[in-house]
Amino acid sequence: MKRLLWLVPLAVAAWLLPYGLGGYAIHVADVAIIFAILAIGLGLTMGVAGQINLAQVAFFGVGAYAVAILTTKAGFGFWTAAALALLVAVVFGMLVGIPALRMQSHYLGIVTLGLALAFTNWVTNAHIAGRAEGISDIPVPPMFGIDLSSGYLFYYVELVVFAIALAFALLVTRSPLGRRLRAMRDDDLAAGSLGAEIPLLRMTAFVLSGLYGGLAGILYAGLIRFVAPESFNIANMFLLLAMVIIGGRSSIIGCVVGAVALSLVREALLDASGYAQLGYGLVVVLVVVFAPQGLAGLPGQIRSLLRRRAGGSRAQLGPFRPYGAAPASSREAALEVREVTKRFKGLVALDRVSLTVPTGEIRGIVGPNGSGKTTLFNVISGFYDPTQGSVALGGRDVTGMAPYRLSLRGVARTFQNLRLFEDLSVRENILLGLDRTRTSWIWRYPGLPWKVLDYERSLHRRGEELIERFGLTDVAGAGPRSLPYGVQRRIELARAMAMSPTLLLLDEPAAGLNGEEVRQLAEIVRSIRDSGVTVIVIEHNMGLVMSLCDQVTVLSSGKVIADGRPAEVAVHPDVVAAYLGDSMSAPTEATAEAAAEEATR
Amino acid sequence: MQVFLQTLIGGVTFGAVYALVAMGFSIVYRTMGLVNFAHGSVVMIGAYAASTFYMASKLPFAVAVLVAITVTALIGLVIERFLRPLENKDFTLMLIGTIGFGAVLEAGAVLVWGATGHAVPSPVATGPIDLAGVRIPTYSLLVIAVAAAATGLLALFLQRTKRGAAMQAVAMDHQAATAVGIHVGRSNAMAFAIGAGLAALAGSLIGPMLYVNPTMGGTLGIKGFAAAMLGGFGSMPGAIVGGLAFGLLDSFAAGNFQEYSELVTFLVFAVIVMIRPTGIFGETTVNRA
Repeated sequence: MKRLLWLVPLAVAAWLLPYGLGGYAIHVADVAIIFAILAIGLGLTMGVAGQINLAQVAFFGVGAYAVAILTTKAGFGFWTAAALALLVAVVFGMLVGIPALRMQSHYLGIVTLGLALAFTNWVTNAHIAGRAEGISDIPVPPMFGIDLSSGYLFYYVELVVFAIALAFALLVTRSPLGRRLRAMRDDDLAAGSLGAEIPLLRMTAFVLSGLYGGLAGILYAGLIRFVAPESFNIANMFLLLAMVIIGGRSSIIGCVVGAVALSLVREALLDASGYAQLGYGLVVVLVVVFAPQGLAGLPGQIRSLLRRRAGGSRAQLGPFRPYGAAPASSREAALEVREVTKRFKGLVALDRVSLTVPTGEIRGIVGPNGSGKTTLFNVISGFYDPTQGSVALGGRDVTGMAPYRLSLRGVARTFQNLRLFEDLSVRENILLGLDRTRTSWIWRYPGLPWKVLDYERSLHRRGEELIERFGLTDVAGAGPRSLPYGVQRRIELARAMAMSPTLLLLDEPAAGLNGEEVRQLAEIVRSIRDSGVTVIVIEHNMGLVMSLCDQVTVLSSGKVIADGRPAEVAVHPDVVAAYLGDSMSAPTEATAEAAAEEATR
Repeated sequence: MQVFLQTLIGGVTFGAVYALVAMGFSIVYRTMGLVNFAHGSVVMIGAYAASTFYMASKLPFAVAVLVAITVTALIGLVIERFLRPLENKDFTLMLIGTIGFGAVLEAGAVLVWGATGHAVPSPVATGPIDLAGVRIPTYSLLVIAVAAAATGLLALFLQRTKRGAAMQAVAMDHQAATAVGIHVGRSNAMAFAIGAGLAALAGSLIGPMLYVNPTMGGTLGIKGFAAAMLGGFGSMPGAIVGGLAFGLLDSFAAGNFQEYSELVTFLVFAVIVMIRPTGIFGETTVNRA
């Protein structure tokens, strides 16, 4: 929070600003603040949560129109109408958000844009919304005898609302919820496997969008006291988008800066609005190509350029500090896979696979490429629903459960091709694993914000301990993409262990590691097992499998062909055949005779 | 029944134009993975270019259309060159970058042609054909015929020519295409130019049916985009079927809900894509973990 101290002089300046401004200038400032609130909302949904929402201006319109209709047509007081309008905007946000459960990126963009057009179409034609002329006589918001029809006094109302809105947005982005939203933006599958409820998080993003849109709409209705369809059209959506992109979409402060700056520029270029429009378009294109993170990302871009020129030092992986031994508590099976079949259209990827892994064991799963090993992991961790069969975890049936539920029940996994969140630092990747709360926990954000901060601090404490245990102290602040492959593998393992799992699934953990790193990996996995965690490893490195695993299961063409101690499995004839092909099996008398016959013919 | 048939004809006519717009989207999307939100504005530029040449120079309509296609294909090449660093990368950035280009084109149109727009006289002078009480405007027949011919030519190009086959190969796997010696950059540029040309064709055809103005691109682009989604993004048959489907949806909504047609159209569209996000010809993809 100390990093936010620089906001204090800005706040003082904002408080004193009206003393230096004329009547028209204060109006411009009032409008700029409204756009800043809108931009925060769009930044949260699009920049932080990655939901392409092109209906933000429609939410703005819903808020403003709801106030207008409720005050002039239904006779409500301004503030009652405002409270109801906020509710309406949030509900509208949720309705527009429903498609996000089924589609993403450009699909979502076009659907939200279509729904925004539907809104404009309705207000332009509906009698109750005043048609094209709009609604004019919205009453002045009453406030203890203060005359809010003055732009100066309304400025202070806006400033207070804006400060609260900004503080809440900063709280959201700098806490577990914001981290989960950003993780979802980067890679929703991996976020789900870490316990993030993707559907609920997407709805949360749209609720926030509706909330900020509605808030801005209410202030707009109170300030201008007139609403008309053209204030909420696509051109304004584009202006808002330009603000957020130029400012930097994933930084809330950047969005505010972009909104204020562009509002002022727009005012300055009012006489040449045609050229101004051309200019916004060009600037957006240039920003997208050359500075994708906007103004907010520029310092970082410059810094990384300088560092590249200076030639950075190579980060060192520290030693792993073993876990304390805690013998497995129960002797019952940690995992029981019964007769699982998985079909993809015609292809049978798993064919009645059964597998029982006792608690506290390291189980190896080997088999040729395409034998269904990763599919089996995907079924166990909930990414795929099995076509038939069941999966039980510690005696409880968990077949078809969503990945986030399984994650909260103690299933952690790593991925064959590494799925670290690249836009998050190593520390944030680990904190995501540590955060074991359900998403419904988020009611604390508006209710008990200090609890959120306490929780965040305790997460950080535990995070540092884990980072130190896995020897990642030197690299904790870096982005995963900049680190060597072996380090990234270690980070993914640490992230999985941050979830304090009971069952750990490792998908080819040694792929791409050098000999020394493989040795360290074996040591770490043994220590994890000794702390009472059951481990299942998919691995092609036979040396590692033989030395590490207690039991080995061999898959071939989706079937279990052998199961037993490593030494037994290695000499099993079916296994040899699967790996080396039938022709390599020792010639029997029958085949030798057949060959001889073939030769004499 | 007559009303129904009349609406049907209107729907198919607009549907043919939407199909052209959607094909332009799809050919760009499948070859370079670029979702071109500026496409609607390219349609608008095409409509302006064709109508201006047609009305100012008294050139035959067909010549004016060819001029418009050339102009917009050149614009397409410029856009492609600018956005090349973003191809096959971050969807969000591409989307915003192309939206930015759309704004540039729209602002440019306002500066060149003014904000008010103009009406375009129909290039076909004869009156509508009366068929059992249903009036079929001759211009509708022309639009449908031209759209069908353009579709046929495009299919021939993609399937029968070497360059077309190369474009298909890039669409399937641009790295493998590079490996077998296809100049992916040139192929992409050509796809973009073809897409822009299709947009110009759509724009010049729709000019006489609507009022040509700078903001027409927004609505047309969204409708063409929605048509592509209905059919299945990136699929050429999908673009045709989706275009016709969206045209029918549009005209029946207009017939039954008058001024609320846009509201109804987009609500119905949202519901349909909720049920089947991949569209009619879209492939369902399996998430790979």
